[in-house]
Amino acid sequence: MDVSGILESQKSKFKSIQVNRLIPVEFDLGLLASFDINMTDEAKFRSDKATREAYLKELSREGAQLMINELFSLPTTVDDDSYYASLPKPITVLPREKPIPKEKPMTRWEKFAKFKGIQKRKSSGKVFDETSGEWRRKYGFKGVNNDDQKPWLIEVPGNANQYEDQYKVRREEKKERIEKNNRRSQRNYEERVAAEKGMKPHEMRKRELQKALVLSKQSTASLGKFDAKLKGEPKIKGIKRKFEPLVGSVDKEKTKNMAILNKVNKGDSKATVLNVRKAQRALNNAKRAAKK
Amino acid sequence: MRPLTDDETKVLFEKLTKYIGRNIAHLIDRPDEPYCFRLQKDRVYYMSEEIMRRATPVGRRNLVALGVCFGKFTKTGKFRMHITALPYLSQYAIYKVWVKPNGEMPFLYGNHVVKAHIGRVTEDMPEHQGVVIFNMADVPLGFGVSARSTVDMRKVDPTGIAVFHQADNGEYLREEDTLF
Repeated sequence: MDVSGILESQKSKFKSIQVNRLIPVEFDLGLLASFDINMTDEAKFRSDKATREAYLKELSREGAQLMINELFSLPTTVDDDSYYASLPKPITVLPREKPIPKEKPMTRWEKFAKFKGIQKRKSSGKVFDETSGEWRRKYGFKGVNNDDQKPWLIEVPGNANQYEDQYKVRREEKKERIEKNNRRSQRNYEERVAAEKGMKPHEMRKRELQKALVLSKQSTASLGKFDAKLKGEPKIKGIKRKFEPLVGSVDKEKTKNMAILNKVNKGDSKATVLNVRKAQRALNNAKRAAKK
Repeated sequence: MRPLTDDETKVLFEKLTKYIGRNIAHLIDRPDEPYCFRLQKDRVYYMSEEIMRRATPVGRRNLVALGVCFGKFTKTGKFRMHITALPYLSQYAIYKVWVKPNGEMPFLYGNHVVKAHIGRVTEDMPEHQGVVIFNMADVPLGFGVSARSTVDMRKVDPTGIAVFHQADNGEYLREEDTLF
């Protein structure tokens, strides 16, 4: 039996998977992209829409065909009647979406440590607590310096007042240390903000202080009129109201008013939106009239 | 006396739009004579430019009124229409309500308009829209805000409120001391 005729007819239904390109097409299979740098037919681009569209379609089909040919050359795995090709890593470097974050200015300690050459040492955050026989945190939740971990006996130092409550001293010292740290972190924050604005920290502080002063003065019942004046207090400049001249150009006023009116009417949807009920009624009336 | 600022003009126009819509343009751009809005002691007056010019030498304290008072700005910056603006509102009104003779007096004594008193209504009047109220002889009596749209008005019982009262001609007597 000769089936070559049937085979031929079947073959002509599909396009060839062979695509000829003068310069070989480059692929970046990791991104499923192909880059074709061959010349395009200028004449076809300039001709009528149908040819142009057909040409573009053909170009993209061939590009896709080439990429699919390439995909099938990759190592594949079969799983539940599906073929999976493992893609290589992308070659093309895509640009970053967001700008690179700015470097934070160094804190005071970081500056000092750099100057002194102090390295950061990694130490474990835990210490062995002999009384309970457990490893505990140095500080923080269930830390050894917490109040519930206080020793049952504290020796009174030789130079201290012997009637002083040593537990209280311990508590207060801790509180002070925390406060000091907070003050310093606040100072670091202020310096960072000032540096971002390109100002000196003390200038920035001065300005903030003046702002706060003005605000607090205005917050009294008399708007600070009877408050005692401070030395070197800045003079507050209020905003002066300014009005148009009473007798000005009439045309100018008219055009200005018209502009405002147009703005007001723009928000007024009734002027533009179709009144459906009214339109429907008009239509029905017209129909009824036509029937008669 | 001074011209209105942009914000004040906007507030005024937004209020006027509720009654006369785009017809405000006819107030601003008049073929006969240039007219303008001026503010004096929180009140907005509408007058011809000539009258405004004549009033300029009068001091702020001595100037009682000039032109037609459209209304006043409240302390919170809202605008309140006065009955004195009625001639202009009735001339350009979009939505109108005509009351029957038996409903005239109740309205002129400062009551809302009930449905039973309504003689005629403009078609397609929406809810909560500024309306001008006339008697059957087409004399403007005042203005208010529609309580129902024209379609919903049919469902209301006769004693139901159809138009909320805002200002009426009776105010010329009742509010004589404070109106001007």
